[in-house]
Amino acid sequence: METAFDVANIPGPDTGEVVSPEVAGSYISNARRPLLITGSEILRDGFFVEIAIEMLNMGIPIAATGHSIKGFVERGYNVNYYNLHELTNCLRDPEWKGMDGAGNYDLVIIFGITYYYASQMLSCIKNFAIEPLMRTLSIDRYYHPNARMSFTNIPPGREDEYKSLLKRLLDSIKR
Amino acid sequence: MDSLKKGGLFSIVGLENVQIRIGSVEEEGEDWEPLGPHPMPGIITLRDWDFKLLKRYKPFYAPFCDMCCLCTYGKCDLSGNKKGACGIRMDAQHGRIVLLACLVGCSAHCGHGRHLLHDMIRKFGPDVPIDFGPEVNVEAPLTRLICGIKPRTIADYERVFDYIEEQIVQLADALHTGQEGSYLDFESKALHMGMLDSLSKEAADIIQIAAYGMPSSHEGGGPDVPMVDVGIGTIDTDKPVILVIGHNVPPAAEIGDYLIDSGLDDVVELAGICCTALDTTRVYKKAKVASALGRQLRVLRAGIADVVVVDEQCIRADILEQCQRVHSPLIVTNDKALHGLVDRTDDAPDRIVDDLVNERVPGVVILDPERVGEVAVKTALQMDKKRRKLKLILSDEEFKYYVNSCILCGNCTLACPNGLRIGEANQSATTGNIKPLADLFDKCVGCGRCEQVCKRHIPIVDVITKAAYPQLKEEKGRMRIGRGPIWDSEIREVGAPIVLGTIPGVIAPIGCGNYPNGTKDAWLIVKEFAERNYIVTLTGCMAIDAALWKDEEGKTVYEQHHGRFDAGGVLNIGSCVSNAHIHDAAIKIASIFARRSLRGNYEEIADYILCRVGACGVAWGAMSQKAASIATGFNRLGVPAVVGPHGTKYRRAFLGRPDLKDDWRIIDASNGEEIYVEPAPQDLLVACETVEEALPMIAKLCFRPSDTDRGRSIKLTHYIDLSLKYLKAYPPDWHLFVRTATDLPVATKNELLKKLEDDHGWKIDWKSKKILEGPIRGYDPSFNPTNLKRLIRVKK
Repeated sequence: METAFDVANIPGPDTGEVVSPEVAGSYISNARRPLLITGSEILRDGFFVEIAIEMLNMGIPIAATGHSIKGFVERGYNVNYYNLHELTNCLRDPEWKGMDGAGNYDLVIIFGITYYYASQMLSCIKNFAIEPLMRTLSIDRYYHPNARMSFTNIPPGREDEYKSLLKRLLDSIKR
Repeated sequence: MDSLKKGGLFSIVGLENVQIRIGSVEEEGEDWEPLGPHPMPGIITLRDWDFKLLKRYKPFYAPFCDMCCLCTYGKCDLSGNKKGACGIRMDAQHGRIVLLACLVGCSAHCGHGRHLLHDMIRKFGPDVPIDFGPEVNVEAPLTRLICGIKPRTIADYERVFDYIEEQIVQLADALHTGQEGSYLDFESKALHMGMLDSLSKEAADIIQIAAYGMPSSHEGGGPDVPMVDVGIGTIDTDKPVILVIGHNVPPAAEIGDYLIDSGLDDVVELAGICCTALDTTRVYKKAKVASALGRQLRVLRAGIADVVVVDEQCIRADILEQCQRVHSPLIVTNDKALHGLVDRTDDAPDRIVDDLVNERVPGVVILDPERVGEVAVKTALQMDKKRRKLKLILSDEEFKYYVNSCILCGNCTLACPNGLRIGEANQSATTGNIKPLADLFDKCVGCGRCEQVCKRHIPIVDVITKAAYPQLKEEKGRMRIGRGPIWDSEIREVGAPIVLGTIPGVIAPIGCGNYPNGTKDAWLIVKEFAERNYIVTLTGCMAIDAALWKDEEGKTVYEQHHGRFDAGGVLNIGSCVSNAHIHDAAIKIASIFARRSLRGNYEEIADYILCRVGACGVAWGAMSQKAASIATGFNRLGVPAVVGPHGTKYRRAFLGRPDLKDDWRIIDASNGEEIYVEPAPQDLLVACETVEEALPMIAKLCFRPSDTDRGRSIKLTHYIDLSLKYLKAYPPDWHLFVRTATDLPVATKNELLKKLEDDHGWKIDWKSKKILEGPIRGYDPSFNPTNLKRLIRVKK
C-alpha cells in the first residue's frame, strides 16, 4: 500500500489509487464537467501556474483557492476565487449550479493545495458526494489516500521528475 | 441573619440535640433584572435556536477517519455515509465526535474552574467579593445570561459549577452507543457544550481575578495594565530559572509570593509557557513569558529551566522524559496530570528538595500550591549551580556531524504535521548555509515526531534549535499583561459604532500555536486589523506569538497600539479562560448599549449578536479540544470564527450558502415582515488555507444585516482593499453586500458603480449615482433584524 504523504493519514478501507499521468489524463479527457481547484502551493514556482493555465486553455475551468488567484491575475487571467471550505460545501451538493450555472462537476482535480486541508476536503467529497458519484484526482506531489486517484509522493530532491509528470499529464489530455 | 443566608449547619440554643441544615438560600429581592425565559437551560431548552443556526449554517463534515472503533460491534466502515452496526451514519458519527471534542474541552475549563474555586476558598475563604471596580458593574455577563444569577462572592460559583457539571454528564451520556442518532441533534448538543464551556471560562477567570486581585477596573487595570517581557531571549539565564507550564495559576502564584517573601524576586527568574505564563504575569510583576505552546519542546530542550513546574492542560505528555534529558527536575502540581510520579505533598519541603537536587527522583507530585512555592524556589537555587556546567545546545561539531548524517530519506517530512522539508535544509547546512534550517524554527510546531522516525537518530529539534540559536537569543518581545474584563464605560463609548458598523469589527485572535506557516501570521493578522481601526482582542497563545514580531520602528503590536476597547486597540485579555470576556463584551453591547435584558435570556442576546455585532474569532493555530469547544461556544452566541488549515481536522465546519436564497430570510422585528438579506455573516466556522486568504475572510465575516450605510461602506472598503492587497483581485461576492449607493466606499464609488453595471448587470442612474436595480434588498435605516418571531413588536 502506498504511504500517505502525512504518514498517519490512513482513512480506512476506501483509499485512492496511484495513477500515472496518462491514466489521469484519460480520466480528465473523458470527464463531462471537470473542475481544476488550485491552491497556494502553485505559487512556489511559475511553472505550476503555467500548467494550470494550460489546463484552463483546454477548457477546464479553474476555481482558485487559498491565495492562488494571485498567480493568474499577475498573468492576466481571470479565474474565480473560492474559499476551499465553501467550495467543497457546494461540491457535496448534487443540486449546486456550478460556477457557470450549468450544474455540478463530475471530476474534481486538485493541484497545489496544502496537503492536510486538501485531504480533509477530499474526504468530504469521498464520503458525501456519492449520488451521483463525484470523482477526485490529485495531481500534487503527494499521495492522497482520500482522492479516488492520486500521483505518488515525489521526494523533495526530485522536483524535475514531478514537473515532467505534469507535462506528461498535459500531453495526455485530449479535449 | 447573614450567616443564615450563607446556609450550613445551625444549632438552636436550648435544643442541644437539634441541628438544622440550610442549603443554598435564594436571596429575596433579586430584582436586578426580570428573569428571562431560559435560566440554566437544559439540553433541549435552546434547541430551537440551534436549529435556526444549523439551517442556515449547515454542518459540513470532513471525516478524519472513515471508521468507528468505539464499541465491540466494530470496527465499522462508515465511508460513503454508510451506517455502522449500531445504526449510526457517518454524518451523525462525526457530529458525535465533535460533541466528544467539545466535551473534553469544556470539561478542561470546568475542571480547571472548579479546582481554582476549591483552592481559592481554601486560601481566601468563600466570601471573596466579586468587585471589579467602578467601571465594571456588569461583572459576569455569561453567568447572568445563562444562569440568571448575579454572583456576589466566589462561593456563588458553587451552584454555577453544579449546573455545568450536571449538564456535562447529561451530554456525555448522549455519546454512548445506542443514544443520539441525528447529526443535527449532536450539533445542538455540541453547541450546548460550547455554551457551557464559555460559562466555565468566565467562572474560572472571575474567581481568579477576584481572589488574586488580578487587573480589572481598579487602579492600574484595563487599558493601563503594564507591559511584560516575552520570548526566550528575555530570560536571564545567569539567574536560577523556574519554568511554569499549563493553565492553572495557583502554584505559580505561590512561587511568586515565596520569592517576594524571601527577598529573592531579583535573584530568581520566574518564566512561563502557555496560559499559566499569561496568568502568572497578572499576579507577579516580575514574571516573564518564555513562549507560547508551540515552543514548549524547544524551550525545554534549550535547558534554561532549573526546575519545571506543571499544572494542567497543554503540557507535553512526555514532559518527564524531556525534563530528564536536560536535568531539569519536574514538579507536578495537579491531580489531572501526575505523570507517574510519587505524591510527596505531605513530605518536608527540604527532603523533597534534596531528592530532586541530587536526582534521586526525576520529579515529584506536590498538590499543595503553597508547598510548591517553597520547593520550587529552593530547588532552582541549588540546581542552578549544578546545571551551569551543562552544555545543552549542540556544539558546532555535533551540529556538523548530525547534518552530515542525513540521508535524505524523507521520513521526517512524512511525519511532520506541516510537511517541512527538513532534509533539504540539512543538505544546505552541509554546504555551510544554515539559513534554511534556521528558518524552520518558526514554522516548526515543535511536536518532535520527526526525531522518532529518523533512521540516523538525528535529534532534529536540537539541530534546528542550534541553527536558529542566534535569532532565538534575540527573541525579545513585549506585551500587555492580561487585562481581564472589558469595562462597561468602554462599551458605552463603542456600542453604537460597533452596531452601526463604523467601527468595522471586533477581531479576536485566540488559541493555540498549530500554525501552518509560523508565528508571524499571528502578528500580521493583529497588525492589519488594528491599523484599520478594528478592535483586536487577544487571548492565549496567539496573544503571546503576536508579541514576538516587531515593525520597522522596533515596536510590537502592543507597543504600537493603545490598549482600550476602542478603534485601533490591541488588547491582551489574558489566558484561555479570559476569552470569556470577549463573549462578555458582545453580550454587554446588547445589555448596556441596547438595554436588552440579560438574565436567563440567552436566545435573544445571541440573536442580537448574530444580527448586529460585527465580531469574528480567529483561531489560526487551533489545536486542542478546548479550541473546539471555545469556537462552538462563540458560534452559539452568534459569533463566527476563522481557523487555519489545520482546523479542518476538527472535521466539522458551519458554512452558509449564499446561492440558497431561502437560507437568508430574516424577520424585521418592527413589523414582522420576512426579508431576504445578504449573507452576513456567511459562515460560522470556516478554514482558510493561508493568512493571505484569511485576512479578507475575517473582514467579510464582520458584515451584519444591521450595518448602517456608513458602517457598511467602511466594512466594504476593508473587505475589498484586503482582497486586492492579498489576493490581487476583487472579492467575487462584494456586490452581495451592497444595498444602496451610499453603502459604497466614497473614494471608489464611481468605479464600483461601473463594475456593478458591467460585471453584475445592475441598473444605475448615473445622473443621481443611484442604484435602480440589482441588490438583494434596499437599505432601510429602521430595519430591526431578528431570527425570533417572538420578538416581533407588531405582527402583521
